[in-house]
Amino acid sequence: MSDDLIRFDRVSKFYGDVLGVNKVDLRIPPGITSLVGPNGSGKTTLMNLMAGLIHPGSGTVSVRGISPFAPEQLMRILGYATQYDAAPRGLTGFDFVLSGLLLHGFPRPDAVRRATHAIETVALTSAARRKIAAYSKGMRQRIRLAQAIAHDPAVLVLDEPLNGLDPVVRAETIALFRDYAARGRHVILSSHVLQEVDVFSDQVILIANGMVVAEGAIRSVREEIHEHPSQYLLRCAEPARAAALLFTHAGILEARIDPGGAGLLVITRQREAFALAVQRLAVDGLAIDGLEPLDENVDALYEYLIGGGK
Amino acid sequence: MNQIWIIARLEIRRAFFSRRALWVYLLALFPAALFLGRAASVHYDRREYAAKPATPAAILDRLPAGTTDKDALAAAGPPIRDRQWRRGEVEHRSLHYFDGYNRVWLQFENGALKTTRRLPLHSFEQDTRIYAGVFQYFYLRLAIFFGCLGIFLNLFRGEMIDKSLHYWFLAPVRRETLVLGKYCAGLIAAAVIFGGGALLSFAALLSYQTSADLETYLQTDALAHGLWYLLAAVLGCAGYGSVFLAAGLVLRNPIIPALVMLLWESINGFLPELLQKLSVLHYLQSLCPVPAPLDPSAPPLARMILSPAAPASAWTALPGLLAVTALVLYLATRAARRLEINYGGE
Repeated sequence: MSDDLIRFDRVSKFYGDVLGVNKVDLRIPPGITSLVGPNGSGKTTLMNLMAGLIHPGSGTVSVRGISPFAPEQLMRILGYATQYDAAPRGLTGFDFVLSGLLLHGFPRPDAVRRATHAIETVALTSAARRKIAAYSKGMRQRIRLAQAIAHDPAVLVLDEPLNGLDPVVRAETIALFRDYAARGRHVILSSHVLQEVDVFSDQVILIANGMVVAEGAIRSVREEIHEHPSQYLLRCAEPARAAALLFTHAGILEARIDPGGAGLLVITRQREAFALAVQRLAVDGLAIDGLEPLDENVDALYEYLIGGGK
Repeated sequence: MNQIWIIARLEIRRAFFSRRALWVYLLALFPAALFLGRAASVHYDRREYAAKPATPAAILDRLPAGTTDKDALAAAGPPIRDRQWRRGEVEHRSLHYFDGYNRVWLQFENGALKTTRRLPLHSFEQDTRIYAGVFQYFYLRLAIFFGCLGIFLNLFRGEMIDKSLHYWFLAPVRRETLVLGKYCAGLIAAAVIFGGGALLSFAALLSYQTSADLETYLQTDALAHGLWYLLAAVLGCAGYGSVFLAAGLVLRNPIIPALVMLLWESINGFLPELLQKLSVLHYLQSLCPVPAPLDPSAPPLARMILSPAAPASAWTALPGLLAVTALVLYLATRAARRLEINYGGE
């Protein structure tokens, strides 16, 4: 069955009386998808359901057409870096990655080559022969990532993958995610660092209390939020004149000159009318350096849809 | 098969050298230590009695009940040890002799010979019966039982505690394969530890026998007995291992399955015949080459617990035990398919 989506159909999961997720319907296309929500919202539950570590109480999950009840098939296309150390006791980083590849059935020389490459990718070559027990938090994070990517999976699921990484490795890791996504693969990750999620996510899934609050590209999710007016920064040399002109043309709720001198801060409910008005300003000869949406980001979506406590 | 072997290889180190393995080794080596101690004791006795005067057995045998202690001393000569004590109105005296093979105690009450107690310095036949008792009552019922509890319960439950079970669940491995791979690792470790323990203790038993006894035994039953004891120990690991592996998949607290299983095995002799066949011990006892002695003067509860179930023949015990093991492993694989990982995250 050719299916390149990750599907959740009316999936509910309870841990005893405690809600994990409730009636989740999702269609996740390839690309980088970030799961965003407060602690305990159900992010890890969704990822565990995808990987078959837990089973839905009701509903069904399929990952590119494969049921999580068939780990022997699913795990050939899925790599999952969990929050927890998974290494059997006493293994070195290299042996940890290698043993996973041998379990995949790769011939030993091929497995050694792949393990070496995966460890290089996460910049851990110099520590590969050390025991994982002696690794720092960041190194453990990286070796888990190496194991998840070693078999070159079509679906990469990563629970807080950027925690504990230094800036250089962080940037390289994000580049790796982008590379995966560019090749038509899934990268599903959870992160608390919303600014980073903004930068690399193709779409976000906002979760609160076990329910999916919103999903989709950040901009399209923002456009669906009507109760909160949009905020923009109009970068221009004459913010006072721009404000006067805008009030005559568009349904502006509020316009303030940025105290830092960056331009004019505008709040409006009529985005399209505002966009047209800005075009007219330019036609009328006002020098405009740029128009920057201030709340088309995960941080703002989080604030609007879920509220504080992130 | 390849995956089973890879899993077993990765797991076997943990099974041999886990933090909880020390007491498993102690249990396995206890009988060997016991018989090595016995060997040292026999060696010591032989040396001690070799230096003592031997009184011909014919003289000691000729002393009838009622003989006075003075007449006995006159006939048998000075004893190795002479002990006298009073209990109530009765004056006791014990004269200890050695006839070159047996230790003999002449027991007097108020100066008249009451009983003659004779114990060989060491008896091979008696030692093999003691070994059978130690093997069945301690090794099979307790050492292998609790050893397998430690090894096999740890295979899944231990990984849940360590939060590392998902390493296996995230591999492209059928849960059935995973169960079998882990079981093989546990079985290899348990078989080496407890099979080795059985052979070591058997070797310790043979180590202090007289050359005549040893030669006769080696030419007759020694090899067969050793192999049956080894087989019983290994099959005990297989049977108990499957049960505790399954228990580790479905129960959080190891005490509960241990107690239930121990109770079940203990009362097995009193269960209906059909239920007796669902006991590991039922088959293991049938494999033991020498019946274990049961002291008729033992307390009734102990006799109840120790009395064996109706024995199966050795050749039906083997497939019977393997069938029980296979059934339990099948149930374990079913449980593994439903097993979820929840370390208490979101």
